[in-house]
Amino acid sequence: MRKFFHHIPLTLIILSMLLLVIAPVSAQEDTLTVLCTPQEDWCVEMTAAFEAETGIQTNYVRLSSGESLARIRASQEDPEFSVWWGGPADAFIAAKEEGLLDQYESPNAEIIPDQYKDADGYWTGVYVGALGFCSNVDILDELGVDAPTSWADLLAPELEGFVAMAHPATSGTAFTTFWTNVTLAADALEAEEEGTGYDEDGAPTQAAVDAAFEYFAQLNNNILQYTRSGSAPGTLAGQGEIAVAIIFSHDCVKLQEEGFEGILTTTFPEEGTGYEIGGMGIIANGPEPEAARMWYDWTLTAAAQEIGATVNSLQLPTNPDAAISDLAVNLSEINVVDYNFAAAGASRNEIVERFDAEIATAPTE
Amino acid sequence: MQATSLRNPVQQIRMIMRDPLLAIVLLVMIFFVIVAILLPLLAMIGASVSPEGIPVFSEYLTSHVYLEIIRNTLVLGAVIGTTGTAVGFLMAFVQVKLDVPFKRFMHIVSLVPVISPPFALATATIVLFGRNGSISRGLFGVRYDIYGLDGLAIVMTLSFFTISYLNLRGMMLALDPALDEAATNLGANKWRIFRTVTLPMLMPGIASSFLLLFVEAIADLGNPLVMAGNYEVLATRIYVTIIGLYDTTGAAVLSVILLVPSLSVFIVQRYWISRMSVVSVTGKPSGTPQTIDHPFVKWSLFGLAMGICLLIVLIYGTIVHGAFVTVPGVRWDWTLDHFDFVINGIGSQAMRDTTTLSVIATPIAGLVGMVIAFLVVRKEFFGRSALDFGTMLGIAVPGTIIGIGYILMFNTPVSINLPLLGDIDLIPKLTGGRAVFGGALAIVLVYVVRSTPAALRSGTAALSQIDPSIEEASISLGADSARTFRRITLPLIRPAFLAGLIYAFARSMTTISAIIFLTTPQTKIMTQQILNEVENGRYGNAFAYCVILIGIVMVAISVLYFLVGSTTGTEQRIEGGL
Repeated sequence: MRKFFHHIPLTLIILSMLLLVIAPVSAQEDTLTVLCTPQEDWCVEMTAAFEAETGIQTNYVRLSSGESLARIRASQEDPEFSVWWGGPADAFIAAKEEGLLDQYESPNAEIIPDQYKDADGYWTGVYVGALGFCSNVDILDELGVDAPTSWADLLAPELEGFVAMAHPATSGTAFTTFWTNVTLAADALEAEEEGTGYDEDGAPTQAAVDAAFEYFAQLNNNILQYTRSGSAPGTLAGQGEIAVAIIFSHDCVKLQEEGFEGILTTTFPEEGTGYEIGGMGIIANGPEPEAARMWYDWTLTAAAQEIGATVNSLQLPTNPDAAISDLAVNLSEINVVDYNFAAAGASRNEIVERFDAEIATAPTE
Repeated sequence: MQATSLRNPVQQIRMIMRDPLLAIVLLVMIFFVIVAILLPLLAMIGASVSPEGIPVFSEYLTSHVYLEIIRNTLVLGAVIGTTGTAVGFLMAFVQVKLDVPFKRFMHIVSLVPVISPPFALATATIVLFGRNGSISRGLFGVRYDIYGLDGLAIVMTLSFFTISYLNLRGMMLALDPALDEAATNLGANKWRIFRTVTLPMLMPGIASSFLLLFVEAIADLGNPLVMAGNYEVLATRIYVTIIGLYDTTGAAVLSVILLVPSLSVFIVQRYWISRMSVVSVTGKPSGTPQTIDHPFVKWSLFGLAMGICLLIVLIYGTIVHGAFVTVPGVRWDWTLDHFDFVINGIGSQAMRDTTTLSVIATPIAGLVGMVIAFLVVRKEFFGRSALDFGTMLGIAVPGTIIGIGYILMFNTPVSINLPLLGDIDLIPKLTGGRAVFGGALAIVLVYVVRSTPAALRSGTAALSQIDPSIEEASISLGADSARTFRRITLPLIRPAFLAGLIYAFARSMTTISAIIFLTTPQTKIMTQQILNEVENGRYGNAFAYCVILIGIVMVAISVLYFLVGSTTGTEQRIEGGL
């Protein structure tokens, strides 16, 4: 140790010189770097399977969708990822508009239904998931209420402080929840008088948005907290902190499969629920474009889309040939709203800000 | 500070140039501060005052939502600064000034939170004291809504008080008992001694721990992410602005807003400290510290300290226990699945990478901290306080801001254009894909930047307590600066050095906010993996990560104690006295 101290200045000098002279490690051939937004274990299985299939050494980084977009944007000049797999489609729509994605007409994309992919071929859906209510049966018993089966059920006075959802500013899940109610309000208005629910472009009117805000203002009485992450309310429900979480149903099923079976139950609102499309796109000017296209083609195959179920990621495949797990929720069996992704994306910032100001303003201690 | 400057800058430079080694070390340190701290920070500020950024400022500063968030942040910082310092002071006081049992136990327990993996304390606290908590609901049948300022205060105080404990304990041990004796001989009672001798001598330490804790608290991301509920603070808002709104300009603006209280508190404290610095005139204390004997004071302080220790034991016990059960808080069946997931699964690379990078960063941070402390306290040169200030920015600036700054600054090589030679890369690409060493260098740099200030602070605090005449004697006897630093200064401040090293390693292993934007496909970091697990509700996996992380840090601390501590006479005497 004493010897070591003799060389402090020298060591420091050498170390700081090192900072200057190390040459960048050159990129290797036959590799692929995937930006992966779904849950980590799914990312692991997907990259491992792709590596086994093609021999291409595949790395991934798991980032949430907002972070992914920020990262891609920050490294626009010299992209670090080749392909971006998973995460809500609105992030891909934003990326496409900013020119961050490359167009690619995959031969395998033909089989994917049109509503699950970009018309210009900038992104393709790789999975679909529906919103639901994830309830803790023990807590519901204690409170003496049944698992909610409509949006109105969530307003029950017994549930005061026992409901949680994510904050629309941070979570695509919560924004989907909000927009679903906008759509439902628009449908209701439209049923009363034509033209009041939707404008001529098919986007919900301001009246519909106002009605949704009214609903969430009422719901706010029952909300314990607005979490940042979309799936976090499910954890709260599992831990018994709350009774009902508004989350994607596949997240609830995943929790049930991983320790909360018999504790959590999934229900759906009868009047209709929203859904998300998990997108995929090739990063513009990214490294390894060939490998990226191989990944793109491969993930659209039925076999690749069946991998999710093996790690309890029970989103529905977009490839109609892929087998659907018994545990997964079949969209055809529940009432799904006609979700206008373009209109949702366009009004997102405005809604998020208004939600912040009118609904979720933190109460003072 | 004691080295009052009477020479002009030219003379100072001449003095330093007489000792070329000193000049080189000084230049290296200045280079480090500029490249690793100032440049990324300027890149960050540059992004916020861009034409897109200016209108966002006025928008945020007039919106009541954002004003509320700013207020929350400041309240949180003040609360944690106060409670954390108070708890740290209490634990240090019991340790040094009281003759009570279980002191060794309390010392070790007080050190444990230095290794608080992000989310671990908060998650365990929810399992214990949440609305369905094993204690709050299980034992008392209360549905206590812990989310918010109260929960944050508990969790963050426990997470951070160790900083102030180590700081104050080191200073209390360094206090010369002869002063107490002198005061007693002059007729002062214990309370008067405490008030007029002990407290003023410790004021710089109390001030600096308040500073560190305030900045730590308002910068913390991990605890508020889990515990804040609807009590939103700037750090989480910045995170959210990038994660949710995809808005880097907004994040830059919020970062600058967060930077203002961080830096102003820091500056106010610095001038305050420098005005009231009290110097003990001997190198090291002689004699044993006097103890407090008043039974009521003694035992109530003991009870309080013991209560805090038991709470920490309970929380860490929950973390360890939770790592071995199916669903912590809900299903208590014994399982090893979580460890299997971490050790044989996704976690193995993260474990390796995180440990390696922390091992590299720790000695660098410790030494840089001590060297800069030495330069700043003992040497006269133009820009001395700028060097200290620049280094301290590493902690005064919240981690998220450093992280964003690194991306903005180092995502492309920094090059200069020279005539004849063309473009020359001064600094290679450090972040993002195909960065040098898969981005590991940037992460090490961030670790060093984040850890050095604590080493510098403890080094400065220790040096301020030591009369420079000892070093001057060494110089008079013909030793050069390097020899004096090695043979006189470093042994004298060895406890501070050790504290700096321990802090650096633990900090590096547990940091999340600064590196969350810097991980690359090649480099995986444990804290980020823990975040993934917590977000997905797999508390068991998260706890298993935490247990392994804590284990690694414990081993490292033992190794550091073995290498650096307990070898000087003073240390042995202190250890023996406990």
